[in-house]
Amino acid sequence: MRPLHHPDEATLVSYSAGALPTAFAVLVSAHLGICRHCREQLLDADRTGGMLMQQREPAPLSAGARDRMLARLGETRPDPPPLHRVPVVADPDCLPAPLQPYFGATYGDLRWRMIAPGVHRILADGVTGGTLMLLRIAPGRRVPMHGHAANELTLVLQGAYDDALGHFAPGDVADLDDEIEHQPVTAPGVPCICAAATDAPLRFSGRFARLLQPLIRF
Amino acid sequence: MIDTDQATSKVTPLGAARRLSPPSPHVAADARYWSEQMAAVASRRDRDGFMRIYDHFAPRLQRYLLGLGVAQASAEELVQEAMLRVWRRADLFDPARASLATWLFRIARNLYIDTIRSEPNWMPVQDGLEWLDSEAASDPASDAEAFVDHAGLKQAIDELPAAQARLIRMSYFEAKAHREIAAELNMPLGTVKSSLRRAFGKLQAGMRRTR
Repeated sequence: MRPLHHPDEATLVSYSAGALPTAFAVLVSAHLGICRHCREQLLDADRTGGMLMQQREPAPLSAGARDRMLARLGETRPDPPPLHRVPVVADPDCLPAPLQPYFGATYGDLRWRMIAPGVHRILADGVTGGTLMLLRIAPGRRVPMHGHAANELTLVLQGAYDDALGHFAPGDVADLDDEIEHQPVTAPGVPCICAAATDAPLRFSGRFARLLQPLIRF
Repeated sequence: MIDTDQATSKVTPLGAARRLSPPSPHVAADARYWSEQMAAVASRRDRDGFMRIYDHFAPRLQRYLLGLGVAQASAEELVQEAMLRVWRRADLFDPARASLATWLFRIARNLYIDTIRSEPNWMPVQDGLEWLDSEAASDPASDAEAFVDHAGLKQAIDELPAAQARLIRMSYFEAKAHREIAAELNMPLGTVKSSLRRAFGKLQAGMRRTR
């Protein structure tokens, strides 16, 4: 999988700075797992962070800090658990690893809720930074023209959609803000499953849900 | 391919102005010096080398974490934890992929994020090695550290227009989200993002300038 649509560099800078709200950071992590281009971009952003950190004026540490550091060098403790790596050939039924804590491991086990005809959704629990959700839109569905009042990041997981920005297939990210208006149409064939993050309040949560708002009793 | 085109188009218009001020070669020498200290730590558990790293970086990491709003005592604990990871995982440090400053920044940033994210589902991001692509040898590594011009990056940071420098500072030094920056500066969200994007383009061009 080689994505053609990536998060905005501003979003990667924010990720690098530790400034991205959780819902967005989870989506960006999922994209990074499959996108070498963005991993290189992120490394450049981290290089910037490293340079900025190194240029800063040193802050004094408390008197015993250096001795405490020295004392800990002989410490033996078990290594932290091995890093979680996304397998190169992932099981097609598996969600990207960063999404699994919020939605479960497999597509087969997802418990969709219908929020409008042809539209299903699952909201992630316990996310305090932004709103994180999965959306499943029936194939060949046209979403009327609309804009955004907030940041919205969408990662296509299955199926595809088209809008004025192009064709969005699995792995692609749409990084939209308040200056973009568009009209997505899901591709025919299979439903389009997306993960979406927004920093708008839930009742105005993004382009699909916003459109459907009159239909949904929040 | 897209990357190369973008990099080239970003280098050209900025190249002329950059030639006016002299480069600062000591920055590159710094990166090499710290890599050598790390090599000594990795190969023979060199405590003196490690403490030289500590003496230089710990107070700077402390400043970074204090700036992000971490309390003094917690910041010191995080600094010690970050430095301990450097000590324990020195063999994993690869100077061909990143400088020590970059690696330490990742470690400290990840520790900071794990500290502030109290959400039960947040998956701790560990020690910052996860995206280093060390096995991906098939590509002629366009992100390799050898191609990074640290003096060029430093200069590009110094030369950012004030408005862009401010957004970079608010991101890296205060961990402010786009939306918070937009609200604080009374600026449209899209403008915050496009300014950050332009600033980052300049920093990348600085990193890749020809010597």
